[in-house]
Amino acid sequence: MTDSILLTTLDEALRWGKGKSLWPFTFGLACCAIEMMSAMGPDYDWARFGADVFRDSPRHADLMIVSGTVTKKMAPRIRRLYDQMAFPKYVISMGACASAGGPYVRGYSVVDGVDKVVPVDIYVYGCPPRPEALIQALKQLQDSIASGKVRH
Amino acid sequence: MIPIESESKTKDGTPVVYISKENLIPFMKEKKDEGYDMLLMVTGVDYVDHLEVVYHLLSTKDGRRLLVKTKTDEEVDSVTGIWPGANWHERETYDLVGIRFRNHPNLKRILLPEGWVGHPLRKNYPMDKKQYVNLGEDGEDKVSYDPKEGY
Ligand code: SF4
Repeated sequence: MTDSILLTTLDEALRWGKGKSLWPFTFGLACCAIEMMSAMGPDYDWARFGADVFRDSPRHADLMIVSGTVTKKMAPRIRRLYDQMAFPKYVISMGACASAGGPYVRGYSVVDGVDKVVPVDIYVYGCPPRPEALIQALKQLQDSIASGKVRH
Repeated sequence: MIPIESESKTKDGTPVVYISKENLIPFMKEKKDEGYDMLLMVTGVDYVDHLEVVYHLLSTKDGRRLLVKTKTDEEVDSVTGIWPGANWHERETYDLVGIRFRNHPNLKRILLPEGWVGHPLRKNYPMDKKQYVNLGEDGEDKVSYDPKEGY
């Protein structure tokens, strides 16, 4: 009895910690990446929410923000980078392009949605989404990790 | 003097000359000696009955610009020997419009993966035949018409 209470509490604390220590992956695909850089810059400063340093290697990162148009040439590379990330790992699909192909959906070279390539946790709408929207997505992801709704 | 096929001006006053593709290389050499030391851009246009290659020249000394156009069926001489910067522009024009540049040092696709069928900016490119891309064992691109084979 005591054990189980201690375990759930510990689990909760761990989940809370996981949510607050996300390491995003430096990874920008198109115009949305500019808004992502703005969100991490001093104006919006999303380091306040515990996802501060963008890592340059997929092996150091656990949050992939797909910020932009997913071209057919890039899609298998995204999959490879995703596979190289260590568990637990989360994906935010940022903007119309990453979520559904966006304005280029009928083009010859565009994948209509990154969810055809990697599993997505949060979709952010907008073309491009404002940095506030991305920060809201981050908060939502953190809350779902902390409440145990998202696990990988 | 190299014969010019026709001459006109764009809306902002930039001179446009049409030159036959046989005379392209001597004409471009002459223009470079006249001070057009920079090749800004090479593009291709598909006019359905023929293709056209457009060269934007700039003289960095006095800011003069010149548009050189040449009609072609699919093949034209490369100007990389005159302006080495034409290399990637010509590769892009080859990739998307399908104009082959003779004597180009490395004429292969630059944007689309190797193995892609067709040139997408052509008017007769079949938009309904989707192609799918995947990575091979050694990291090379593989293209196929089967949606199960790639993304
Ligand atoms: S959703 Fe809009 S802003 Fe974002 S990458 Fe696509 S076109 Fe650019």
